[in-house]
Amino acid sequence: MSLRRRLTLALVAILSLFAVNVGTHFWGSFARSESMVAYRNSVTASQLSMEVEQLLENQRQQTLVLATLRDTTEDQLDAEELERAEAEVAAIRSAISRLGRLSHNATEGHFEKLADSSNALLDGWLEFYRNYNDRSYSSDVDDPLPYLEASERLAELEQRQAFIAVQRASIIDRTIALTDRITVIGFIASIFLTATLGFFLVRYTNRSLKRLKTGTQRIGSGDLNFRIDNIDDKGELGDLANAFNDMSDKLRNAIYDVSRARDVADEANAAKSIFLANVSHELRTPLNAIIGYSEMLHDELDDSRDIDRRQFQSDLDKVTLSGRQLLTLINDILDLSKIETGKMSLHCETFKPGELITQVCDSLAPLLRDRNNTLQLPDLSDMPTLYNDQAKFRQIFTNLMSNACKFTQNGYISLSGEAVPGREGWYQFSVRDTGIGMNEEEQRKVFEAFVQADSSTSANYGGTGLGLAICREYCDLMGGSISVASAPGEGSTFTIVLPSDPELAHADA
Amino acid sequence: MTDERPILLVEDNELNRDMLIRRLNRAGIEVIPAENGQEALDKMISEQPRLVLMDMNLPVLDGWTACRRAREDERIKDIPIIALTAHAMEADRLNALEAGCDDYATKPVDFPGLLIKIGKLARP
Repeated sequence: MSLRRRLTLALVAILSLFAVNVGTHFWGSFARSESMVAYRNSVTASQLSMEVEQLLENQRQQTLVLATLRDTTEDQLDAEELERAEAEVAAIRSAISRLGRLSHNATEGHFEKLADSSNALLDGWLEFYRNYNDRSYSSDVDDPLPYLEASERLAELEQRQAFIAVQRASIIDRTIALTDRITVIGFIASIFLTATLGFFLVRYTNRSLKRLKTGTQRIGSGDLNFRIDNIDDKGELGDLANAFNDMSDKLRNAIYDVSRARDVADEANAAKSIFLANVSHELRTPLNAIIGYSEMLHDELDDSRDIDRRQFQSDLDKVTLSGRQLLTLINDILDLSKIETGKMSLHCETFKPGELITQVCDSLAPLLRDRNNTLQLPDLSDMPTLYNDQAKFRQIFTNLMSNACKFTQNGYISLSGEAVPGREGWYQFSVRDTGIGMNEEEQRKVFEAFVQADSSTSANYGGTGLGLAICREYCDLMGGSISVASAPGEGSTFTIVLPSDPELAHADA
Repeated sequence: MTDERPILLVEDNELNRDMLIRRLNRAGIEVIPAENGQEALDKMISEQPRLVLMDMNLPVLDGWTACRRAREDERIKDIPIIALTAHAMEADRLNALEAGCDDYATKPVDFPGLLIKIGKLARP
């Protein structure tokens, strides 16, 4: 359960108990005050009953005296006396009606009986007062029955009121006792619940927090494989633990990426160093010949002996040759460096590959003759035009052709060009020779920079070891590929597959 | 140079070999040429040169291996060898010395310096 839900639950439980306590208190107060009113009414009514009893008693004495006086004397009741008597009866009636207003539902029956009997009594008395001076009127006011009945009813009402008062008092006592009990129980329950919930809340939260702390410490100390698990909390603390786990995952990945990047950078750096060492090595070889021959020719000139002019010329040719080789090498290195830094761009134009290949073969005719090789060139004039980099195409074929010439003696060099079956817009060209060939190991490495199949071949056959690397990079740039098939002593076949438009290669990819 | 025995030049590049032979001859040093490591070992045994100038990048048997084998062979282990290579890094120099070369010269060759080195090592 989440921390927030635990806290909310605890709070709700405590608040409910609190509400029960407050409700109990209000209910108690209400019940008490209701009973209190009833009790007070009962007490007032009982006082009033006593008052009415006294009044009735006095009025009866007075009426009985008057009745005796009427029988024994001839005195008349003057108007003032009649009025006073009527007022006294009215006062009694008002007292009885006040008693009626205090009357509770429970005493209503008793009151009605009292009202009936007292009205009959008071009506009798009023009749007596009014007819007092009429000698023909015979009075029955000395009859005690109506008075006794009224007294009895009054006593009954009084008793009833007293009974209700006692009842109410006991209800009040019970209510107070009950509310007290509920309040105390509620209070104790609140304390107990608060303590229990607090204890569990602290315990579980503490346990989760301790695990979090241990986890973060271990992750912080570099143990990125550590996972914070067993968090009871599926809510905030669980989320926090997951966040830490995610963080350590991401850190681990980031560290892995960084170390990968560093390895790649180290490799690139190492490759650069090797490249530099190779460049240095390759530059020194022709430089050695240039400087060596120049110094030697200088020494020969200093000699007083006759100079062999033919020998001298031949030596100068060697210097020139080495210089040219150096220039080619530098150009190749610059091209390769341009390709590797991504600065070599493609300049596409429309050209006929057949024409271009023929031009290349013409320009390499001296090289062909040098080693007595025969060129087999089919008619490629009906090949469709290509939209690609013409200069790079020419460079690739020059490199491949001059390689074929270099590594073949008294053999055949044949060229071919045709559409790739099943791939519209793709063409393959191949240069086949019957030269020294290569084993599989050599074929694998032949497209790497500064690698010639045998490290000594450059000495025997010349070249920089960059030509095929450049061919491969150019083919890539032009959207195609280059491959080799060869066997030692049986010659080599280099095959180039090119799209008629570099966009075609992007579309295929 | 009063020592009559020739020195052995091991170099696979025709231009460089031709050039060095002619310059050494002009300096009064007789030279036997060899084109690879195996030929060098054979000629060291058969000709007993007073010194070997050895290129390191050689076909058939490279210079480092040839040096090691020469140092293990009782007949030729005392013939001084000067490594002659276009590898110019410090590590390359150490590699050559480790393989058993007595000295080291980088291409392009400083010819007077090379003569001094030959003179030092070839002294009987």
